[in-house]
Amino acid sequence: MLTRRYAIKTAAAVAAASGLGGVASAQVADKVIKIGINLSFTGADATSATRIANGAIMAIDEANAKHEVKGYKFEAVKYDDGTATAGQYDPAQAATNARKMVSDKDTIAAVGPQMSGAGKAMAPILSAGNLAIITPSSTNPDITDPKFAQQYRPAGKAIYFRTVTTDAFQGPNMANYFAETLKVKSVYVLDDSGAYGVGLADAFQGQAEKKGIKILGRDRLDPKAADYAAILTKIKSLNPDSLFYGGVGQAGTKLAKQAYEIIPKVIKAGGDGVYSPEMLTAVGFPAVEGWYATIASPHLTEDDKLTKWVADYKKKFGVPPEDYSITSYDAALVIIAAAKKIAASGKPVNRDAVRDAIQSDKVSTLQGEVSFDANGDLQSKVVSVFQIHKNDAKPLDDIDGQYKYVGVAPQA
Amino acid sequence: MTATDLLVQQAINGLSLGAMYALLALGFTLVYGILELINFSHFNIFMVGSFVALMALEAMGVVGQQTVMSGFPLVGVLFVAFLATTMFTGTLGVLIYRFLLRPLRGVKGPAAMITTIGVSYILFNIVLLTIGADAKNFPNPLPPIQWAIGGAVLRLREVLIWVIALLLMGGLTYFVQYTRLGKAMRATAQDPEAARMMGVEVDRVIMTAFFLGSALAGAGGMIFGLYYNFTSFIVGFNAGLRAFTAAVLGGIGNVPGAMLGGVIIGLIEAVSGQMIATGWTDVIIFSILVLVLVFRPSGLLGRVAPNKS
Repeated sequence: MLTRRYAIKTAAAVAAASGLGGVASAQVADKVIKIGINLSFTGADATSATRIANGAIMAIDEANAKHEVKGYKFEAVKYDDGTATAGQYDPAQAATNARKMVSDKDTIAAVGPQMSGAGKAMAPILSAGNLAIITPSSTNPDITDPKFAQQYRPAGKAIYFRTVTTDAFQGPNMANYFAETLKVKSVYVLDDSGAYGVGLADAFQGQAEKKGIKILGRDRLDPKAADYAAILTKIKSLNPDSLFYGGVGQAGTKLAKQAYEIIPKVIKAGGDGVYSPEMLTAVGFPAVEGWYATIASPHLTEDDKLTKWVADYKKKFGVPPEDYSITSYDAALVIIAAAKKIAASGKPVNRDAVRDAIQSDKVSTLQGEVSFDANGDLQSKVVSVFQIHKNDAKPLDDIDGQYKYVGVAPQA
Repeated sequence: MTATDLLVQQAINGLSLGAMYALLALGFTLVYGILELINFSHFNIFMVGSFVALMALEAMGVVGQQTVMSGFPLVGVLFVAFLATTMFTGTLGVLIYRFLLRPLRGVKGPAAMITTIGVSYILFNIVLLTIGADAKNFPNPLPPIQWAIGGAVLRLREVLIWVIALLLMGGLTYFVQYTRLGKAMRATAQDPEAARMMGVEVDRVIMTAFFLGSALAGAGGMIFGLYYNFTSFIVGFNAGLRAFTAAVLGGIGNVPGAMLGGVIIGLIEAVSGQMIATGWTDVIIFSILVLVLVFRPSGLLGRVAPNKS
């Protein structure tokens, strides 16, 4: 038992030891600067969220281990914008998180959010606080579109950066892929009522029309509903060649399951919302077989140059990375590089300086050189296409094993 | 598909949904009929039921989409899972009543109803925290048998839902109409004081109502899982809200009313998805509810509640 006297002794000893330690190293402790990581850790996208967060954490841990920025130590602070009641990201929670980050002076920048709906809620608050955030996966173009600057960056400067491209490319490029590679003549378009899903479906639909694909209809799924049989029966009666779904996992997994029963032969595709372990675990084979998905970045997890990185990631976290783990790692690298540059010039590392450095820098990352335009969008615009194809040699929930890379979608 | 085929197909879709809502609506109605209490924990007893069924099936080696069974093994496995689920959720309902609601009997105002909302959230969060946030794969042991009706397709799983729902509803009707306990239940629903004076053990009757209602919710949860092949901590909310609407639509407290309400809501959901757009389904369902309540405040078949005089 811990007696009072013993406790006092121990406390004194600890104090003495730490004091001595300070003298011995004769060094001021590194100043801690925080990097927020805001993702949807609760709800339908939780598995991806963890894998994306791991990427940023890995970059931060490596920077700390190497003392990358002299005099500073990074601390990753996780924020969860998913709530149980929403079952996925919750814009209200995202806004709360943005306020928390802005009010914490030690937070110099953030990685996230995962979802565009969360990004729309966070952007105006971050703009007011001049806190830069780099999203590894949210692709709705409105947030960085100068047309909506009044809404998403009322303070003027770009604060919402991306290490992925946007749905302004993801949707239309996939429509090109439908027309040119899959030779699709007709399509039914669905979305999941979310900011990302509606935007992606709109962007796809616009380009599909231009390419001469017949749009047989457009409807909206309630992500909380369980039953999509009514709409799928309607789609079946229209007999389309293909189905395009703009949305994330919560509606997507149920849609895939029921679509397999009702319209098994129709070509089915979505954006990066259906490029996720949830599709494999919650839908499973054979229902998920044949689905197309895209991501708004180059495909890197199978790249030869990244073999060691992927192995390190698996070793550290016990799960395989996805491509957005890499864009998340890259996002953290950009922030770390900004901090390093500022520290090297002898100025204090604060959020204003970090934002400006992110805006102007060219950083060499895993996906190549990353730099941003004046709105915060990534200069490179690559959309990669995958098709789910069962591979018994790999774990059935392994994205790399089960999503087969089929190429880059033609640029719109 | 011709227009007729489409109508038949949507009717099949709607009836399956309706059967599920009806089972769930019965639980609201049974408890309301006796206690005049809307039991919101029912939403998530349904959800817990789907997880109990999932665990029972997995414990018997029925896992994922690959295990397909037929004949007696299939019936046996489903029956055991059904028993485990209904017993578990039935007992859960009784425990909720015994320890959380009975102490509030005689307390005026919304205390009991608020308690049920609290219990609902507790169940919801326990499942979220222990089982996790992502949707779970529910086994699908049913052989892929289907019949063509013109251009429409009737699958074994739809037939199974209808058969189970009809059996349960038939059993419940028999119980309420012809057994001693059932008669005691009706007597209590009419006038608890008079029933007590006639020697009815009111407490036992209430517990029976909670047991049956919760067991039906569990059965509904298991059917949900078998039908959609997934479950998640969040499924209780939507199904529960619609089932509650069904109970009110049919006349809350009224057993045949709950069944009718369930089927109507299911059919509206399917038909509005076809004719208008699925995005509008909720607007349509709840508009119809509001209209019915404006013109027939006690629901289609009339409300049944304890006599307050």
